[in-house]
Amino acid sequence: MQILRKTELKAYKKAKKIGQKGVIEILSKKGLVGRGGAAFPTARKWQFAIDTKSDTKYVICNADEGEPGTFKDHLVLEKVPENVIEGIIIAAETIAAKQAYIYLRGEYEYLKPKIQKAISSVLKRSGSKVKIDIVVGAGAYVCGDETAIIKSIEGYRGQAYLKPPFPPVEGLWGKPTVINNVGTLANVPQAILFDDWDPHLRLFSLSGDVTKPGIYEFPMGVSLKKLIELGKPKNPVKAVYFGCFGGCMPYKEILLTPENVCGQNCVIGAGTIIVVDNTHSIVDMAETIAKFYAFESCGKCTPCREGSKRCLDLIAKIQSGKATKQDCDTLLDLALHIHETSLCGLGQTATNHLITALKYFREEFEQKCKLH
Amino acid sequence: MVQDLLLPILKHEQKKSGYISEAAIKRISIQTGIPVSRIFGVATFYSMFHTKPQGKNMIEVCHGPSCHLNGSFNVLKSLYKSLKIKPGETTKDKKFSLHTCSCIGCCDKGPAMLLNGKQYTLLDETKLKAIIKKCRS
Repeated sequence: MQILRKTELKAYKKAKKIGQKGVIEILSKKGLVGRGGAAFPTARKWQFAIDTKSDTKYVICNADEGEPGTFKDHLVLEKVPENVIEGIIIAAETIAAKQAYIYLRGEYEYLKPKIQKAISSVLKRSGSKVKIDIVVGAGAYVCGDETAIIKSIEGYRGQAYLKPPFPPVEGLWGKPTVINNVGTLANVPQAILFDDWDPHLRLFSLSGDVTKPGIYEFPMGVSLKKLIELGKPKNPVKAVYFGCFGGCMPYKEILLTPENVCGQNCVIGAGTIIVVDNTHSIVDMAETIAKFYAFESCGKCTPCREGSKRCLDLIAKIQSGKATKQDCDTLLDLALHIHETSLCGLGQTATNHLITALKYFREEFEQKCKLH
Repeated sequence: MVQDLLLPILKHEQKKSGYISEAAIKRISIQTGIPVSRIFGVATFYSMFHTKPQGKNMIEVCHGPSCHLNGSFNVLKSLYKSLKIKPGETTKDKKFSLHTCSCIGCCDKGPAMLLNGKQYTLLDETKLKAIIKKCRS
């Protein structure tokens, strides 16, 4: 796996030699984009923070991997934490930040000693003066959103807020802040050091109804069929979910590029593939995911706070056999409204799974409905 | 900046007492100067903080879609059989609290749960029985 190649601080030494401009140039030329799901060019994000004048700047490593079905950052933090730390000090020194934070999700707290050890070792060997602290979250999916992370580190409820200003201009304590995903920061030293570093390789988290789940590294554009066959499903595959927020599609052969997946009304995001075979009901999946969003909605904006609960009520009604086909229409209508009117990424994508499930598997919902 | 210490303070309190009591919130408010309302707001926002007393052993069963497909419902059923509690409840002897939680990143080894913050994966009834027995002894 490319992601597991160790860089042993050679990238940091090279970064020091080529300087701020050189680092930005190399990352931009090599085409490193964010691995958290939005695929924003890393060099551009850093450049925004460089261009903002301030004595104090921050770097935050987003290790709040909460998207259900995603466990790639877990692998990276467990196997190559030194690469991530090297990425952090390169980022910090490039944008002239003296302090960096790793926002580690509460559920991964047991990884803290390992990361702490990697921080001490990297700082000692590199001689870098960047201060790196680990902030452990306390269980909140919304804290994967960059503005919610900022609020959480500041000690408030982790509620997202409206952008702009974007964090590289005004972030943590109002100061320019670069927030990068674990996967992005792990790729920084590799992109700087290795000539044969491939920008198209991604980590796919494959799980669900497969006998060989795990992390698979493939270039963007890999065949969905090939990936799922590697997972050796027990039964014929019915549907594929791209995490909770990415929506679902009937299983068929497509090449996994953002455009192709978008063409199926889904979002590829962080490469999460949850396989559902023909022994499982899509309505059950919808209920599980709707429960998740009703629980995780931060409560700040009305469409997501109230809507996620109403969606769950409607699905429970469908499950109970008391619903009519009109309730399916109401559910879709509600889902579309939440999608269009919520404040942050969580709310806007909270009903993707319902919109796509009702598009592709409506008969499963209607089979549970009364005739009149 | 005292506010940014609030999360670690609450984490410490949660670990020490098993929950964050009203008295603890008032005490933290006096010590830090942060209003009670704001501390209460933070304490009720994060799912790993509890404002009601919890059992000695905290069980959090992953209810993510991957664990759902791999039988998280059976895990809850087995736990109900041996502990007689449903998610959100605590056993009468205050030894166990049961909760469901969002994905814990063990999707390749589901169904999974956290017991006092430690991961337990590929769960089945036999494994669960052994885990509960070990906690009881």
